[in-house]
Parts: sequence; C-alpha cells; structure tokens
Amino acid sequence: MVGDEYVSMIPAATSEVWSAEVNGQVREVLAPSNAILLDVLRDKTGCLGVKRGCDMGTCGCCTVMIDGQPRLSCLTMAQDANGSSITTVEGLADGAHLAPIQQCFAEHGGSQCGFCTPGFLVASQALLNTNSNPSDAEIACAIEGNLCRCTGYQQIIESIQAAAAIHRGEAESAQAASDAHPDPHPSGPEEPTMPPGHARGNHVWRLQTAAWKRFGRSPKRR
Amino acid sequence: MSGGYKQQPGSGSGEVRKDGKRVAGKQSFGPPGSGGSRPEMKPRDLDFIPEMVGGNEKQPAGAHIHDRARTGTTVGKAIPLVDANAKVTGQAWYGDDVRLPNEIIGRIVRSPHHYAKVVSIDTSKAEALPGVIAVATGEDAPNKFGVLPVTKDEHAMAVEKVRHVGDLVACVAAVDEATAREAASLIEVEYEVLDSIHDMKKGLEDVDEPIHWRGKYHVGTTNVQKRVFQEFGDRSMVENPNAMYHGKWKYMGVNHGFTEPHAVVAHWDSNGRLQLYTPQQVPHYAHRALATVLDVPMHQINVIRTFVGGGFGGKSDPFPHEMCAAILSRKAGKPVRITFDREEVFWVNRGRHPSHIEVQMYADEEARISGFDIDALIDGGGFASFGHVTSYYNGVLATAPYELGSFHYTGARVWTNKPASGAMRGHGAVNTRCAVEVGLDDMSEQLGVDPIDLRLANLLPPHSRTISGFRITSNGMRQALQEVRKGSDWDNKFRKLPLGKGIGIGCGFFISGSGLPIHWDPNKFPHATVHIQIDMDGGVTVHTGAADIGQGSTTAVAQVVAEVLALPIEMIHVRSHESDTSPVDLGSYSSRVTFMNANAAIRAALEIKEKLLNAAWDTLGYHPDTLVLNDRRIYYKHDPAIGMSYLEALHKAQEDKGALISSGAYRSPPMGGVHKGAAAGLAPAYSFSAYVAEVEVDVETGMIKCTDVWAAHDCGKALNPLAVEGQIIGSCHMGLGQVLTEQMVYGRTGHLQNANLLDYKIPSVHEMPNVTPIIIESCDPEGPFGAKEAGEGPLLPILPAVVNAVYDAIGIRINDLPLTPDKVWAAIAKRMKVEGIDDPSELPVPRLDFSELQEKLAKRAAEHEIRDKKRQRSEDTNAYVNGVLFGFNPDIPLEDQVEGWKSADKPQPEQLAELGLAGKAWLKQEQRHMGGEN
Repeated sequence: MVGDEYVSMIPAATSEVWSAEVNGQVREVLAPSNAILLDVLRDKTGCLGVKRGCDMGTCGCCTVMIDGQPRLSCLTMAQDANGSSITTVEGLADGAHLAPIQQCFAEHGGSQCGFCTPGFLVASQALLNTNSNPSDAEIACAIEGNLCRCTGYQQIIESIQAAAAIHRGEAESAQAASDAHPDPHPSGPEEPTMPPGHARGNHVWRLQTAAWKRFGRSPKRR
Repeated sequence: MSGGYKQQPGSGSGEVRKDGKRVAGKQSFGPPGSGGSRPEMKPRDLDFIPEMVGGNEKQPAGAHIHDRARTGTTVGKAIPLVDANAKVTGQAWYGDDVRLPNEIIGRIVRSPHHYAKVVSIDTSKAEALPGVIAVATGEDAPNKFGVLPVTKDEHAMAVEKVRHVGDLVACVAAVDEATAREAASLIEVEYEVLDSIHDMKKGLEDVDEPIHWRGKYHVGTTNVQKRVFQEFGDRSMVENPNAMYHGKWKYMGVNHGFTEPHAVVAHWDSNGRLQLYTPQQVPHYAHRALATVLDVPMHQINVIRTFVGGGFGGKSDPFPHEMCAAILSRKAGKPVRITFDREEVFWVNRGRHPSHIEVQMYADEEARISGFDIDALIDGGGFASFGHVTSYYNGVLATAPYELGSFHYTGARVWTNKPASGAMRGHGAVNTRCAVEVGLDDMSEQLGVDPIDLRLANLLPPHSRTISGFRITSNGMRQALQEVRKGSDWDNKFRKLPLGKGIGIGCGFFISGSGLPIHWDPNKFPHATVHIQIDMDGGVTVHTGAADIGQGSTTAVAQVVAEVLALPIEMIHVRSHESDTSPVDLGSYSSRVTFMNANAAIRAALEIKEKLLNAAWDTLGYHPDTLVLNDRRIYYKHDPAIGMSYLEALHKAQEDKGALISSGAYRSPPMGGVHKGAAAGLAPAYSFSAYVAEVEVDVETGMIKCTDVWAAHDCGKALNPLAVEGQIIGSCHMGLGQVLTEQMVYGRTGHLQNANLLDYKIPSVHEMPNVTPIIIESCDPEGPFGAKEAGEGPLLPILPAVVNAVYDAIGIRINDLPLTPDKVWAAIAKRMKVEGIDDPSELPVPRLDFSELQEKLAKRAAEHEIRDKKRQRSEDTNAYVNGVLFGFNPDIPLEDQVEGWKSADKPQPEQLAELGLAGKAWLKQEQRHMGGEN
C-alpha cells in the first residue's frame, strides 16, 4: 500500500449526475464533477464521433453544437453543459439519411483521413443553420478554428458551398449544386464579421478558465 | 432540405418516399441483365474507354497494356472515397475509438532528461496504488527492433539508457486514466545524466559515449549513424563554369501534424493470440517488430489497422507504445488502451529531419547543367528510424529531372538527443529539392534566361536513365512546366511585378514505390499481393494489406477491380484491416500503394474475368475475345442481344468449384546499378511536378502571404481525379507550412518548446492560397491503367516556388526555412543597410534582361519537345542515358567513351580535404566496435 505520507495529486472528484439532450435523446449519466465535456460525450454517451486531437482547443476536432452554437468540447466543463442540448456529428443525419453537409463532404472530397471531419461538419452546419448563403470569407471564418492536415481546406469550402446551395433549395443533389453554383460570392466582403458562436472566440476565454481545471490534462504535466 | 440524400453512395434514382427522401437501405441496383438487351442496362461509357480499343478517351501518350481491361466503369471518374460515408457520419473507428469490454488504460512514463543512464526503477509505489493493474519496464522486453532490418536500435522501453526527453522508461495500466496518470507519477527512476548533444554538427565529433553503437563497425566514436558518398560523371566538366550557384541552407525539423494522436489497443484473446488495434500506415512492420519484441511467432499476432487519422509518414514505424500496450495487456490479462497527448506525439515525432544542406551547381556555356555538388547533414534525433534511407534520398532524388554533367553527393545522418526524425511526406527529397530549384533560379538570372526555359532545355526525356542509373519511364515534366506557365500568365508576370509581389517556379521529382522491398529479396517475393473472392451473391471481396490512411488506397483498389469486372463500385468490398485476412503488404510509404496494389488488384481481377468469360463461352458459344463486359452483363460484341448476366456467368463458373478465388501480385522489374546504395531511390516509375506560386511580401513587416498556386502534377493517369486534386491541394498546404510557418523549436538547453498545435503553426484556412490543381497524364507503361503516385511528389515544388517568388518580390534570397517574418525582416533590414536606403519601399526589385542564350535555349527546348513526344509514344525507341545532351553516345558505356567519367561510392584520399560539412564524416576511420551489440 502507498505510505501514509502519500498525497494524491488528483483531487477527489465526486461523481455527479450529468444530464443533457444529446442528439435529441435525453441522457442522464454519472460523471466526475471535474470532467470535460469531450470525455463525457466519448466515454459515457458513446459519441465516439467527437474526436480528441489536441486537448487545448487548437484543432477543432472536438467541436459540438451546444444549444445550436459550435463549441469546443475539450475546453467545456461537462457541468457547464448540464441541461443543454448537444448535437454531435452523429446527430446531423436524419436517421439513415445524410444531411446535405455530410453528403457534400463525401462527394466533394471534403474528407480525406476523416479525423477532423466531425468538427468541420458541426462547425459548418452551425454556420448553415444561421446563414444559408455564406461567402467564402464567411465560411473561412466559421472553420478557422478547425485544422485539417489532408485537404488544404479548398475542397472543404467547396463542400460547404455545395451544401449551402442545397439549403437554399437551389440544388437538388450535391453534384448538381457544385456545377450550378460554384461560388455565389466570388469577391466576398473585405472584412467579414465574426459569426455568432464561432469556435475560436469560444476558446480564447475558456483557455484560461476551464482548460486546466481538469487536473492531469495539462500537457505540461506528465 | 430537399430530398435525394442516401446513406449509400452511388447514383441517385431509386425508390422515393412520399416526403421526397429515399428509403434507407435501398440502392439503385436494377435487376441484372438476363440474356436480352434490357432497357435498364447502362450503355458503355465510351468517354472513359481509350480510343485504342474503340472508345472516345484521348491517348496522347499512346496505348497502354491495360487498355483492354478498361470497361469505362470507374477509372478516371471523380467518385467519393468508398469509406467517405463512415467518415462523415462519425462511424469511422480510429485508434482511440476501439473500446473493448473490460478495457483498462495504459500510460507511459517518459524521460525528463535528454540523455541519461537509467540506474534503477522503483515501481513498488505505483503497484501499490489501488486501481493499478500492471506495470512494465524495459526489462520486460529487452529485444531490439527498428523499422529497417539494418538499423534495429529501439527498445520497447529504455534498456540502460534514455536518449531524448520523452523517451519511454516504463508504463502502467490502471482502471481509469486518472489512476494511470497518478501511478505513472509514482514510478521512481534514478538517472545518471550524461552529456547530451543537440547540435547536429557536434554529432560528427568523437565523444566518450555515442548515443548508439552502430553495430559491428562504428565511425570513429562519433554519433554518425550513416554516411554516404556518391559521385557520378566527369568532374572536370564543372571547371570554368558559365554560371554557378553556391547556397548554404538550413532547415528546421517539421512534424507531420496529423490530427489523430497515436493510440493503440492491445488484447490477448482467449486463445492467447495478440489482437493489436493500431492506426498504422505500415501494419506489416509493426507485426514483425511485435513478434521480435514479444518473443511470439508472427502467426500468433493479428494486427488490426484502424482508420488512420492522417499518417504522412508519421505512423509508419513500429512504435514502442504498441509494444508497451501488448506487454501491459499480457500482464494484466485485459485489453489495454493507450492514447497519446499531443505533446507525446511530438516526442515520438519521426518528422522531417532538421538539415544543413550545402549546394553548388554549375552551368556551362550552353546553359547545360554541368554539375551538382550536394552536401547534406541531417539530424536524426535519438533513433535510426528510416534514416538509413533518408541519408541517400537527400542526394539521389536530386539526380532528375535534369540532365547532369556530373553529380557529387556527401551525406551524413547523426544521432542527437532529440525526438527521432524519420519519414515524412516527400521523404528526404524535399529539402535538397528546394535548394536545387532555388539554385536553378539563381543560375538562370546569371545566364540571363527565363528559369522555365532553362529547365525545359535541360530535361531528361521519357524512357531514359538518370546519371545514377534510375530508369525513368513516363515523364510529364515538360507538359507540367508548360501548363503552369500558361495558367499563371508567367511571361507577363515574372520579373515584372512591383515590389512586394512576386512569382516563382519550382519543380519536383519523386519515386512511385520503392523498387526494393525492405524485408525480402525482390526476386523471390512480390511487393504487393491482392486476393479476390466472389461467392454466390456476386459481391466481390477484395483482400489487400494496403493501409488506407485517408489517401484513398481502398478506393483505388476497389475502383480498379470494379473497372476490370464492370461492376458497380458498391459491389466491391475491400477488406484491408486485419493481418489475419490480408495478404502481406509493405504498407503505405514511398508512394507505393496505388502503383503496386492496384497493379496486383488488376492481375487478380483479370484472372476472375477470365474465369467468367470462359463460363460465358461454355454457355454462349462465343470465344472470350469476342465477348464484352458491361454493367453486370457479358454479351457478344457484334450482337448485344446475345449474352448472359454476370450472376449467371458467375454461377456457371462456380459449378463444381464453389467460390471464385484469385490472387494477383506485383513485382517490380529488375532495375538499377550495382554501386553501393544503388537501390536507394530506385522505383518502377517516377512522378514529376511543377508549381508556380505567387506571393505578397509586406516589406515593412516581413510577412509573406502566398496568394495563388498553379500546381501541375504528372500522376500518369488520374484513377480518381477528385482524390488526385485533393492530394495536390493537401500537399500544397503541408509544404506551405514548412516554408512559411512550421518548425520544431528547440531551446538553448535542447528542450522542445512548441510541442502543441498552438505553438506549432500549421496553416489554417486563412493562410491557404488559391490552388489551381492541374493533372498531367503521361500514362506510365507499367502503372495500373497508367497511374503513378500523387501523394508525396506534389509537396516538393511548393517550397522552392515560394522561395523563388519571395526573391522576385523583394530581391532577397533567404536560405533558412521557415521564412518567418522575423527572418525576412532581418534580411530586408540588412539589405537596406547595404543599399544605403531608409525606406523599405525603395528596395530594388530584380529585373531580367534576356541574354543571347535565351533564344538558344528556347530553340533547344522546342527541339527536345519533339524528341520527347516521339519517345513517349515509343516512336523513338533508341536508348537514352544521361549525358546525351553533352554529346555522348548512349550505346557505349560512358566510362569507355569519356575519360574521367566514373562512379564512386567512397571518397578518394585526395578528395578528403575538400569535403563539405557532412562529408567530414568520411574523415573518421571505421573501427570495429567491441561492445558486442548486434
């Protein structure tokens, strides 16, 4: 047994009931009080589509929608999302029918290795929910908090534009959308405003508050 | 939302629900044809059938051996990846998504010291912590492993020494992550700290305690892991050059930056076999290494490749943490999952080597390239990894696409106390290529010629041999250069843009598959094997070991099988995840998968096709040569009404035999010279690329913004243009990162300072230029349907294109990558001092006055274009070796006709005095090391 002088470096965290509406289903699970949302979603609710890429809000792979706003689940304390409505990548499709954004990512090469894809899908769906006619610059602002190492973003933007065309009802299928509406705003506004619920805006303040609350997750410790 | 979305890929029409959505689970397969010409039978897509066999697809490069296998089904069409739906629905299972019942969590204890002897490890406290189930240290697995059989220098966990901060010392497994972390902190390790080395130049010096002993023979008592000397051609040609470039380049280390951190799950099943789930590019090497380290025969291990969240070379070594998980799981009797933090990913690294590269290039009075002198010192970090090969690649992959008078290369790879460098997209070729292409730009300025014309007039033609003996088959370099020149409006921009705006060119040359398998004799075993199995349902199961890491190798294999058998791609099921069911494959590296696996798949599919056609022959009475396959139907060429469905033919073929099974393999032809290192860089085909980049440089801050890239890549034949374009744009992104922002920063004490994605600057969407991908199809004679690689080669040209564009913009060459604003501004400030100006907006911009050489070059380029076209179409089948441009006869060995033409793999004693930095490794004597290792 560890000696008496031993003091655990991990503070005792009580388990608390965490409940939220995850992808339309009310889920009630027991989670440690200091858990981050990413861990609860992955380990307790089975949403393995939410990916862990960097643990510090830099890659955007863990983006989920909390009450319609895209948020980084690795920088959100689970308890802060208690009682909210959460949409992950698994909640985008309507049953077996892919959402336009999913279909367009598949058909336009927006996904290569696919690890960052869930984050991109959620962030861009959140954009399309509020703006079905985004310019390339607005799309770039919406996904600037997400890193993709495979695609170079170009085909991702094409995918989102194609999905936007379907949201506007201008295109029947993803393929037709790309042909008919290559770029609705070829020039785009000079200084795009930051869209609401934009992921990087979220992480700036949370970086200092929530991130290191969870002991043992700091990359400085091992 | 309107209707029309479906879970399945494929064409849209089909049963539709009242609300406009398609019914889940329904695909648009019509009934198979049953003898007559049924209305639902699709006509053959003649646009995707080559003109040589009666279609409409143009073939400027001539016929191809696979033309007759084309059915116009999938090849050449932009189709989504076959696993795209798994990825967009979150169902793709990556390393950390494997959740087995009763799993426990593993954690690794890492060294806090750069270089130290491990004196003792006390695990008692950790073992006593409630919830801890297993603890392991280096003693549990003393066997060495390594990705290359010649350089096995890694242990699962430290035995005797730790070699960099983050090196593995011990590992623990516990009921949850918090307990595992706690237990890891309770392991007490006593170290005896040794003098560490962080500067690669110091690695060339003799020390008391080299980081490794090099096997039987060691280079002095230095930290040199590998030294290379190669010399070809007539060295007297470089005397009295007309133009000369001398550049000393410094490159920082670069990490792959894949988004998925390493993760592994190990589980010893009820029969005592190891099931290892890991996101590996090269599962077979991991398989071999596991067998060695665990002392278990290979057949008792099943390596299951999960989806791979990006590889780029960073998941191609067998990794110690994979061994750790297996050891912990064996001790605990439960599945163990280990997932890395991002910081741990940087400690494992295997990224691009930090390098010092010195290049001297010479051009003669006719603007022929009379010589390359390359000296590359590369920093290998703590382990060998792929470094043995990298040491060669840094030189030999610069021997093309230009015709050289002579080539001289010295290279050395040293061990330092940093995370190991290894293979990364564009393995070994990227840094040297950048220096060489910038050198050409510089020489073209000295000669007063256009840099594109200088290149066009010095290219090796198709079907030729490089100076080092590489066999070049198809070559689309010329067309690539012409396309980017046209696309970028080069002639109106180059040296004509105002200060702060610039345009630059760069070229690339890369292997398409490594010509020699690392682990076995290529004369005995194939590089790639593919099995195909078709049972009564008609679905085609393809077994391949090719690891899909997002590049779409699964799609490529499915496409070629669908193409040969004329089946919808939905009927092809590729099984590539498990080593139990997949034939041995070398994995995804050296850009070999499409070339080799698709070739093997074509062979296997052709065997099945033959069986089907023979069955149809039995029934229809027409010889297979007169039968046509199209969309699940086989019919008589001259009367489509006479035919049978695919299923009928299949069932006929299955009579008495059961399922149709075939196996296809690919082996590269015998190639290459006999000198030492001749195998490095040898490939059955090579890819070529040319990029033009346009940049804006803010002369007041030194900030560079790349605005446009025209990217032409010769991939032989784009099996899937969507995927090829994705690879080209993605390569641009990764290369731009290296040239503008990405670097692994080591502090004064050698500590890695930016082991996270906030400080390690991967370009975001805002930094991405507008990339225009241009696909060049040179139709490789040995490639599957003419295809070559498209994954790594497109990365090479972006670096020199940007560096050259920066020169065009501000007239300053910076030989220190990445070009961060501080370096650029420092260079601008220095230049202002030299010029005696106060305002950076008064900087002189380079302008070009053509010399009389320009016309000569353009004329030569035009002549060569005709020559190349003839050779490409095999109208001219004369031998062509490097040196013909200099007037030599290709039919006589050059050694016999040119005095002084030689090929050497060791420096002569009189050369020792003039060797460059890395060449200094040759000053040391090899001595027998009596340490007894290896």
